[in-house]
Amino acid sequence: MSALLDTSALGKRYRRTWALRDCTLTIPEPSIVGIAGPNGAGKSTLLGLAVGLLEPTEGAVTVCGRDPRRDPAALADIGYVAQGAPLYRGFTVGEMLDFARISNPRWDQALATELLSRSSPGTQISALSPGERAHLALALALGKRPALLLLDEPFARLDPLASRELLRLLMEGAAEIGSAVVVATRVLTDIERVCERIVLLGHGHVGLDGTVDELLASHRLLTGARRPLGRIRGVAEIVRERSSGRQLTLLVRTDGPIADPTWSVEQIGLEELLLAYMAPEELPSPQPPEPSRLRWHG
Amino acid sequence: MAWLTWRQHRPQLLATVGLLILLAVAAFVTELPIRAAYHRHALSSCLPPATRSGCGLIVSHFRSEFAARVAVTRYLAVLPALAGLFLGAPLLAREFESGTFRLAWTQSLSRQRWVLSRTMLLGVATVVAAAILSALTMWWRTPFDDLGGRIGPHAFDVEGLVVPAYAFFAFASGALAGTLLRRTVPAMSLAVGIFVAVRVGVETLLRPHYLPPLQRTVDSVAQSARGRDWILENRLVDSVGRQIPTAREDLAIVHAQRARVDPQDYLLSLGWRRAITFQPNDRFWTFQAIETGVFVLLGALAIMATVALVRRTSA
Repeated sequence: MSALLDTSALGKRYRRTWALRDCTLTIPEPSIVGIAGPNGAGKSTLLGLAVGLLEPTEGAVTVCGRDPRRDPAALADIGYVAQGAPLYRGFTVGEMLDFARISNPRWDQALATELLSRSSPGTQISALSPGERAHLALALALGKRPALLLLDEPFARLDPLASRELLRLLMEGAAEIGSAVVVATRVLTDIERVCERIVLLGHGHVGLDGTVDELLASHRLLTGARRPLGRIRGVAEIVRERSSGRQLTLLVRTDGPIADPTWSVEQIGLEELLLAYMAPEELPSPQPPEPSRLRWHG
Repeated sequence: MAWLTWRQHRPQLLATVGLLILLAVAAFVTELPIRAAYHRHALSSCLPPATRSGCGLIVSHFRSEFAARVAVTRYLAVLPALAGLFLGAPLLAREFESGTFRLAWTQSLSRQRWVLSRTMLLGVATVVAAAILSALTMWWRTPFDDLGGRIGPHAFDVEGLVVPAYAFFAFASGALAGTLLRRTVPAMSLAVGIFVAVRVGVETLLRPHYLPPLQRTVDSVAQSARGRDWILENRLVDSVGRQIPTAREDLAIVHAQRARVDPQDYLLSLGWRRAITFQPNDRFWTFQAIETGVFVLLGALAIMATVALVRRTSA
């Protein structure tokens, strides 16, 4: 069976700047994937390419083995909520559901109405709160019973309570239909508890890709006296370097245990980890990779 | 899909129906005295080529009595442009402006089907509304057209098959403008610009030449004004057919006035005649069919371009 989402060397250029470049990702089976990254990192571009709104400049993207731009049948497998949850302002909630029913042969009216149990179908879209709008947009996407659900900044502009409500609906709905969920967001607090895998985009490139456990296990915070930095055994890459007074704090990606006793080693939280990767001005210049024979020595 | 198209364009479609009802009522009310006067003066016996004595006077009296009302019908020529303004231009521009194209294009239907079904449904609605308008105008103008002909632009532009064709073209160019500019108000301006340019261009440059015009020579200006044909050119020529320059004509008229002679008689005594180039009234339906073909073709091209643009859009 083909992967739910598969991109290979995918790239999109707007005039002279690349919004996304060399992006290779596979989502083989239903899971919840968070796409993180600052503004302009290429998150929306990636989702737009996956749902066929955008034409790739290079590379390829398939959803369930089909090209979403060449093969309109692929659209039935994708639920997509664009940034800002666009809806027809003059419609009522009930009319939006009718719109989705007409536009989708596999539409599940029962599921959508169940998810929207608290909104009255006669309400005008323009009278809905941002939270209710996001709720409705998500229900419209879930009612398609898609294999892949793509959400672009669903939590932006929502207050914490509305975010939590939306997240609950998302979890319920995704579990019900068994779809993979890809959430692009800048705000990680809301999804860090539920995302099984995180892809971090920065400047159009994939910066990090792994399950939450993998990412947490492979990063450590080192604190010690300030010193000229050479190679530290067990460290694959220094992600961030901060000094205050005579103390030096390093965020490192590890490839083995850190044995040097002059460093105190701590775990790092997911949010801090992602923020460190997202803040490019604090990244040190890239280091050449260590020769592999030196690894795991001692 | 029909429901969705209707739901999204409900205000415009209802306004169209309202406008047609209003026009129908106005047409009926204003037509009653016209028909009454027409029968009272037995104008049907004055239709060309009849030569009942006193017809000239009766006809000109009838015409001047209702001149103001007839003049208003010329303005009906702008109504087809409304299809471009209020149905065509917002059709896609509004989806782009509000971002809802991202919603519409990510449902299970292909974009091609989405845009084709919407343009076709609204195109048919436009054509039906314009056909009703055209039939109404034609009925209203019948007494005047029977006397003065329909081939001239005053009647040709607001009657027959061309009115639905103009409206369809206006709608299609509005849809194309909306797809190109992606904003409603600029798209409206562009749609009107395209419509006016093409309409005026076709009327002045193409229409006179759909079929080779005919020629005839008459004795006086008064005679040339009579009849039901579309006069393209009216020149003063001498007995061997050479054109008299305006300066010479003016000189002749001044001469006649000084000698207290009727200028018309004087010009005739010189052997000068009026050479008329015209399109005869009986070509009305042929010309209508040709012009309808031109606008339907242009409209279809605009729709095809719109569909191709929507399919290719990457945004």
